[in-house]
Amino acid sequence: MAPPIRLSVPGTLLYRPIAVRTVAEAARLVSCSPTNDIKDPTIDPLVHDVRHPFDTAVVSAFMEIFNNIAIHAYQRRGGGTIELTITPTSDSLLIEVKDSGRPFDLGNVVPLPADLDEESLPEGGMGIHIAKTMLDDMTYTPGPPNLWRLYKRLPAAQVAVGRS
Amino acid sequence: MAPFEVHRTNEETTLTIRGSLDINSAPALNDEIDKIVPTRPQKVVVDLAMLDLIDSSGVAALVKLYKGVRNTGGALMITGARDQPLAIFKLLRMDKVFNL
Repeated sequence: MAPPIRLSVPGTLLYRPIAVRTVAEAARLVSCSPTNDIKDPTIDPLVHDVRHPFDTAVVSAFMEIFNNIAIHAYQRRGGGTIELTITPTSDSLLIEVKDSGRPFDLGNVVPLPADLDEESLPEGGMGIHIAKTMLDDMTYTPGPPNLWRLYKRLPAAQVAVGRS
Repeated sequence: MAPFEVHRTNEETTLTIRGSLDINSAPALNDEIDKIVPTRPQKVVVDLAMLDLIDSSGVAALVKLYKGVRNTGGALMITGARDQPLAIFKLLRMDKVFNL
């Protein structure tokens, strides 16, 4: 098995695109999703091609966790790093995300309303719900350092397609 | 360049969003929403056909626009959502509210 991919970026939103791009590429290593038609100038194939459901899930979840760290752990002030250890296998992806900011209390996350209608549309508090729902497993261990573990399996049918 | 543009006619206001609507780009859209809503538009069309990525901050901005337009008596229609953004709206069960 190849060694993990490691990336360390300052814990501010300025560096979010670099981290997201790295995660998107790692997801594509697992999903074997094709890159975009390079003749299409409207889409950046590295950043925005997350159309494969596996890529969609991984990138969507990771974006929310990065946001959470930059906003809650580092309170938009930076001052620390976000360290990624990404382990792709033939049928799964594990992303470990470490930060040295304030611990986050997952227990304080308010669940989304069961019956969503026009009146109850939320304007916040959706990030953790998105990450948790998109992944097969997500754990958080308060630190220091704080550790998020994001795990996604590639469905068996998609493994077969990707390797064909 | 902001990932959106606004086109106004007498009949409707069209907001076209492209690329990534996320925590870095949503504040600029929120500023634009603060300009759109006070004009009390009767119909707002949000075109997401060129939107590739959205996060919860982007969704929150669109919810803010939706509520603002509805609260001032207007109607908002979201069109063209696809791929990752559509998956997010479905996950949040907003696809039915927005008629996606």
